[in-house]
Amino acid sequence: MDTDSTAISVSGLSKEYRHGRRRLRALDGVNLAVGHGEVFGLLGANGAGKTTLVKVLLGLARPTSGEARVRGRDPRRSAARRRIGYLPEGHRFPGYLTGEASLRLFGRLAGVAEQDLDRRIPELLELVGLAGRGGDRVGRYSKGMTQRLGLAGALLDEPDILFLDEPTDGVDPVGRRQIRDVLLATRRQGTTIFINSHLLSEVERTCDRVAILHQGRVVRQGTVEDLTRPTMRYRIRLGEGQSAAPGRLAGEGLDVVAGNGSLEVEVADLPALNRLVDRLRADHLLIAEVSPLRAALEDVFIEVLEGETRAASSDHGPLTTDHDAGGGR
Amino acid sequence: MKTWALIVDTWREALARYTLLGFVAVSSLFLLVLIFALNLDIVDGALAAGTLFGKAFEVPGNGPAIATVVATGQSVFAGILYVLGVFLAVFATGSQVPNLQHRGTVDLYVTRPIGRTHLLLGRFLGAVTLVTANLLFLCGGVFVIISAKTGVWNPRFLVAAALILLVFLSYLGFMYLVGVLTSSTPLSIMLPYALYLLSVPLVAHDRIAAAMDTRLGVGAVQTLYWVLPKTAEIGRDLTGYVLGRATPAVLPLATTAAFGAVCLGAAIIAFNRKNF
Repeated sequence: MDTDSTAISVSGLSKEYRHGRRRLRALDGVNLAVGHGEVFGLLGANGAGKTTLVKVLLGLARPTSGEARVRGRDPRRSAARRRIGYLPEGHRFPGYLTGEASLRLFGRLAGVAEQDLDRRIPELLELVGLAGRGGDRVGRYSKGMTQRLGLAGALLDEPDILFLDEPTDGVDPVGRRQIRDVLLATRRQGTTIFINSHLLSEVERTCDRVAILHQGRVVRQGTVEDLTRPTMRYRIRLGEGQSAAPGRLAGEGLDVVAGNGSLEVEVADLPALNRLVDRLRADHLLIAEVSPLRAALEDVFIEVLEGETRAASSDHGPLTTDHDAGGGR
Repeated sequence: MKTWALIVDTWREALARYTLLGFVAVSSLFLLVLIFALNLDIVDGALAAGTLFGKAFEVPGNGPAIATVVATGQSVFAGILYVLGVFLAVFATGSQVPNLQHRGTVDLYVTRPIGRTHLLLGRFLGAVTLVTANLLFLCGGVFVIISAKTGVWNPRFLVAAALILLVFLSYLGFMYLVGVLTSSTPLSIMLPYALYLLSVPLVAHDRIAAAMDTRLGVGAVQTLYWVLPKTAEIGRDLTGYVLGRATPAVLPLATTAAFGAVCLGAAIIAFNRKNF
C-alpha cells in the first residue's frame, strides 16, 4: 500500500486498550489508503474509533497490530512528523500563553525558523480571523476562537498532510464557512487533508472520499460522488408564480412533496417521470428545471449504520469488543 | 531551538502560575529579614554585640571570634535553606508533567516533530534552570548579606546551594516518574515530601535494623535506606561541612543522585510507551 502516490496508508490496523481486566478494541483490522492531495473524511458515531485512528497515525498511540504509515514512514518516529499539521479535538493551548506566543512555541517545536515564524504568525492569525487578537491570552478565548487558533497552529509549518479532528466543533456558521474556505485554499496548494467529523454536510462539501467507521471497522468507503448515488427522486421547479396540486398527483400513486414553487417526486423509472412532465404541461404549468436528487451523505451514513446494527443483532458478533466504553476516543 | 523553546515555556508557565513569583517572594522575604533585622557589632575580629528584630542578644564572655560566629550562623542558615529550598523547589515544579499530560495539551506537544525523550528532558532542563536561578538568588543572597555584614567570606556556604540542587534534582526525577504515571499534581508534590520525611528515621537505619526481629524486616529497612534519597543524612553532613567539619560523604550523595537518575530514566521510558 505504500506507494509514492499514497500519503497515508493503514493496513490490518488494530488497537486494544486495557482498562483493568477489560480489553477494549477501538480499531479492528482497519485498511485505508489516502492519496497525495486528497481530502479524505472519516465518519463514524461516537466511540467508533475515529480519534484512535488519527492518534495512531500521529504516533500518539501505538497500534496493537497492523501498520500505519504516513508518507511511507512510521509516525512514531519524530522525523516522520515533519510538515504534518494536526488540529486535535478538544485541544487546549496553554492558557498562560497569548495566541501569538502559542503559535511561536509550537512553531519552534516544529522546527520552523524564527524569521519564518515572524512572517507566518501574523499571516495565519489574519487567515483564521484572529487578527488583532493574537496578543490576548488563550485562556480568554472563546471556544470558536480557540478552534481557529488550533487551525492556525496546524498550518504553521506549511504541512503536506493535515489532520483535523472535528475542525468546526464549537464554531459558528460564519466561522465554519471561513474554516471551509481555508481548507479549500490549503487543498489547492496540494495538501492532503484527513478530516474526522460528525458534521456530515461539512464533509460532503469538503471531501473527495470518505470512509465510514463502525465499531473499529471500515464498513464503507468510496468517493462522495459514489456514496451519494443518484436516486429516482427528482425536483421539478415550476415557473414563477406557478403551483401544482400535489393531491391530484398523489392520487395517481406518486410520492409528491410540494413547496416553494417546486415539487419533489419519486418515480419508478424515466417514462414515469416523462408522463408526469406531460401531465404538468397539460395543466399549462411552466417547468423551469428538472433535476435528479442524490442521497445525502447523512442518509447513506444512517443507512449503513442501521444495516450494520441489524447485521450485528442477527449475528451475535464479537463479544470481546466494547466500544461504548471508549466513547470520545 | 526546540530545547530553548521548552525552557522558555517552563519559565512562562511558572511565571503565569505564580510559582516563580511565590518562590522569589519567599526568598526575598528571607533575605530582607537578614538585611534589616540582624545587626552585628564586631570589635577587633570578635562579636561584641548584636540585635535581632531590634532586640539585643547576649554575647558570652569577651565575644567569640567572628569567623566562628559566621560559620555557626551560616550552618544554621544552610540547614534552614536546605529544607526551605527543596520544599519550595518541589512545590514550584510539581505540576510540570501533569500539566503537560493534560488531554488536549499533550496532543499539541507530542505530535510535533520532536522526540518524546527530547520533550521530557527539555521540560526537565527548564525546571533545573528555574530552580538553579532561584537557589542562586536565595543562597547567594544569604552568602553576600552575611559576608558583607561580617567581612567573613566562607565559601563552604556556597556548597550548600550545590547540594540543595543535587537533592532537588533527585526529587525532580522522582516527580517526573510520578507525574508521567499518574498525571496527578497533588501526588507529584506529596510523594517527594513523604520521601523527605522517610529519610529522617532512615538516618538511623543500622539501629532500626538491629531492633528488627526478622530478616525480612532488616532487609526492608536496609533496602529502603540504600534505594531512597538520603535527604536527612545529606542535610546533616551539609551543616557540619559549613561549620568546618569533614566533606560530606560521597556514598549518600551518589546513591541519592542515582535514585533521581533511575527515576528520570523510568519516567522517559514510561512517557515514550504511553498512549495519549
